[in-house]
Amino acid sequence: MEQFFQQLTNGLAVGGIYALIALGYTMVYGVLKLINFAHGDLFTIGAYLGLTLLTSLALTDHVGGFLGIGLLALMVMGLVGVIGILLERIAYRPLRESPRLSAVVSALGASIFFQNAVMLVYGAKFYVYPQNLLPNIPVSVLGMPIPLMRILILVASVVMMICLYLFVQKTRIGTAIRAAAIDQGAARLMGIDVNRVIMIVFCIGPALGGVAGMMVGIYYGQINFTMGWIYGLKAFTAAILGGIGNIPGAMVGGLLLGVIEALGAAYISMAWKDAIAFVVLILILIVRPTGLLGERVAEKI
Amino acid sequence: MKRLLCLVTGLALLVASGALAADAVKIGLMGPMTGSWASEGQEMKQVVGLLADELNQQGGVLGRKVEIISEDDAGDPRQASLAANRLATQGIVAVIGTYGSSITEAAQNIYDEAGIVQVANGSTAIRLSEKGLANFFRTCPRDDEQGKVATATIGKLGYKKVAILHDNTSYAKGLAEEAQANLKGMNIPVVFFDALTPGERDYNTILTKMKAAAPDFVFFTGYYPEAGLLLRQKKEMGWNVPFMGGDAVNNPELVKIAGAAAAEGFLFLTPPLPKDLDTPEAKAFVAAFEKKFGSAPKSIYPVLAGDGFRVVVEAIRGANSVEPEKISAYLKQSLKDFPGLTGTISFNDKGDRIGEVYRVYRVDNQGAFVLQP
Repeated sequence: MEQFFQQLTNGLAVGGIYALIALGYTMVYGVLKLINFAHGDLFTIGAYLGLTLLTSLALTDHVGGFLGIGLLALMVMGLVGVIGILLERIAYRPLRESPRLSAVVSALGASIFFQNAVMLVYGAKFYVYPQNLLPNIPVSVLGMPIPLMRILILVASVVMMICLYLFVQKTRIGTAIRAAAIDQGAARLMGIDVNRVIMIVFCIGPALGGVAGMMVGIYYGQINFTMGWIYGLKAFTAAILGGIGNIPGAMVGGLLLGVIEALGAAYISMAWKDAIAFVVLILILIVRPTGLLGERVAEKI
Repeated sequence: MKRLLCLVTGLALLVASGALAADAVKIGLMGPMTGSWASEGQEMKQVVGLLADELNQQGGVLGRKVEIISEDDAGDPRQASLAANRLATQGIVAVIGTYGSSITEAAQNIYDEAGIVQVANGSTAIRLSEKGLANFFRTCPRDDEQGKVATATIGKLGYKKVAILHDNTSYAKGLAEEAQANLKGMNIPVVFFDALTPGERDYNTILTKMKAAAPDFVFFTGYYPEAGLLLRQKKEMGWNVPFMGGDAVNNPELVKIAGAAAAEGFLFLTPPLPKDLDTPEAKAFVAAFEKKFGSAPKSIYPVLAGDGFRVVVEAIRGANSVEPEKISAYLKQSLKDFPGLTGTISFNDKGDRIGEVYRVYRVDNQGAFVLQP
């Protein structure tokens, strides 16, 4: 039984990261009906920018661990957000009126571009975050020792997701985002600047992906230029699982995928972990083609 | 590219004609001078070049000078077949190299058809010497040898419940299966045998599951990025089981990823590092190398290329001939316990090196790799 709970927390820790990245996919899809395949690479860029800023500014030495990491997270979010806006301007906006497939191909191209750009700037070797940035003492939860960092990551993910949900539901801009998601033409007629809405979406989504990259770097230590691929794929799966276009769905999908993977690996087979997770995805989609919390039927990409 | 090719061919022809005039014994060197393994190839060139210079100062072999003709395979099978074809037309009696099993595989038939002795230095795949090629040798060990050393080490350390973890790559899985079979023969139970997915970041699930099987020793046969993460996350879990890795973890980045505290005590198998070579020949060689290039060789594989060169010269001397058949026959039948840089060298009928090359290393509390007695 203890092993079961241990595996559950393992799954939740991984799932929290999946969920945070999945938010970026789901937001963009909700408004533009576009799968932003470059999102995983924005996650990688976040991890690298975090490391560069961390080592060059030495913020954590000046203002302490938690505040330093917080400031760093804001900087990474800002920078990756700007990259996201540029990405939309250069790679997606010129194709807004083109067939859907053109934008998907452009997204794949952007992904390859980012991955190689990171490789050329930083090199193909592994980079390692400095250790012990935050005190990583085990905290006892229900009698089980759980590393503090894991709890922090899960809490940070959930807090960011709730903030995003409230932002979209309660603010004027959020309302505009929802309106543009339902019908861009009608939203434009109601005086909503759709281009501005899309820009905001392409700032928030990548910013969340970027900060997830930094969190992975701080917790796991090791980053390399291909890391975005596997996380991006899993997060995309999580978004579909929860119902793409739906913010709470991305949350649920991410956490669920993490838990399914962990329990599948623990009780069935480790080598078949990914296969088990994808079989579950297929079964859920057969029963609920829109994903767990999805409202609209997902159109083909 | 075309111009470069012309230039290289022109230079090679120039070198070839010069060599004819001097009537030197020509030995080829094929290595990854460019590409992602370039550090290995360039060091191979330095090592073999240094040994050839030393030999020529002492009068060469059979009264003739030795000349090294090197070609770049770029660590790429397609480049390797081109390089092999170029070398094969230049009248070489033997070729040293190369690094990487798939690269060697692309070249070995070309040398075989041309009747040239090939001595590979960093190609450990088992199948390379199972094809019945008469003139193929290697100074590096084979992958199955590593499995034997791994299980012998586990037996010697006296562990009773072993977990084996691989990463589903053909090399790691092969090694894991080899070790599993050997342990079974030694009546040491394998309580856990499974694979992880390389390229991920979080291996807590695997560690939790493995911990539940309660092994007293873990053998991981994969590569250093995953090994580093496993060590780090194992420490975070507060699990103190000893870990051992295969030769794919032999990289200083391992300690950077794991952190010195988590890596301390980690054991791994590898051919000896150049700094730990202890024969008089090796010490003299490392000193000469340091004098000429400023530092000791960084990798063992170029030193194994040096051993390849030395056995070929010894065979030419012993067979009193530069005919490949005679060199090959001498290496297989007459060369016994030759004092190489990396220990004694003999070859079996397949051209594989006989004897234990692998050593056990331990990571100390500073993160340095220390040879275990």
